[in-house]
Amino acid sequence: MGRGWWTLIDAGLGDTRTRILGVFLIIVAVVGTVLMRSYANIETVFAASLLAGSLLGRWWTILVPLTALAVLQPLEWSTTYTGYGMNAMTGITFFVVSGYVFVGFLGRRIRPRVLFRVKSVALLTTISVPVTIAYDLWTAFGEWYFITRPFGVGIVMVLEAQVPFTLYHLLSSLIFVPLFGSIFLFLHTYGWPARTPAPASKTPDRE
Amino acid sequence: MAPKLSERQQAFAFAAILIAAIAGLYATTQLLQPVPVQASAVRFVRLDVEGVGWSIQYAPATTNNNTAFGLLLEASAKLAFPVAYVWYQIPQGVFVTAINGSVNGEGNRNWLYQVNGVYPNIAADHRALNDDDVVRWIFSTSQEGI
Repeated sequence: MGRGWWTLIDAGLGDTRTRILGVFLIIVAVVGTVLMRSYANIETVFAASLLAGSLLGRWWTILVPLTALAVLQPLEWSTTYTGYGMNAMTGITFFVVSGYVFVGFLGRRIRPRVLFRVKSVALLTTISVPVTIAYDLWTAFGEWYFITRPFGVGIVMVLEAQVPFTLYHLLSSLIFVPLFGSIFLFLHTYGWPARTPAPASKTPDRE
Repeated sequence: MAPKLSERQQAFAFAAILIAAIAGLYATTQLLQPVPVQASAVRFVRLDVEGVGWSIQYAPATTNNNTAFGLLLEASAKLAFPVAYVWYQIPQGVFVTAINGSVNGEGNRNWLYQVNGVYPNIAADHRALNDDDVVRWIFSTSQEGI
């Protein structure tokens, strides 16, 4: 790989703090979702994707959701979607992955306004509500198209059945976005608390 | 003009609104939870499990497993055939993934259940049974189902 590629990758991943936070976000997305597997739609990939876009930006916007889902989707295939045809699983996966990448890009859109302030956490939390609903509508359409449509089930019935799941998803977003948002905003702005106080970064790494 | 709130006051206001929103949403989700079925004895219920090229019948004179899923599990224990399922806490309910080695998706077939010829729209562990009910678990293709 040429020097040009390394420079490109280096720039895309940002500084050391950004990289560590990016890896942490992937861990949060995977571990949180696995731990709450028995609670449908209570997950941490959404919060991690939104924070990846809004805090870290750069390649992390898609790297966080894609890496987390590369671990989590095969798990879904072997449990919830056990035995479904390749076509159905690929289709559902497309909707899930594109949905979370979309969440990351939306986070990136609000990135310039995100600082370690209550207003920023409130902004992220508020935005997470319509984005969660949009994500659920998108994936419900995918589920209808690839799984229930062949059984003659209409999209309206799928959307009706989706309502309680979306409420849980909203609950998940309202808990995890402000929780991890506060933690990661703090770490992004000030770094790790040290025994010997280090000078605070006045200009967190930004593009 | 509204007074400018300090960062701390904003944090308290945000936390209060957030807690209220979470509590309201949680209360709504609880209201939407399916009502658990109370165990009671039912008589002359019948279970038909129809795979591809095989079938299982089970008809206890009386049972306390008075749900479509409970009856399936009872038959599984008595007649020694395996049942695989995923159990969700919220929304509460089971999702049957395999019966007697036939796994959802094989040959584009999935396990669906009927009670007295009707496909219920709730999880099988929340579908209560009454005397003389007939439960059918069918390994159905998309064309056959619903």
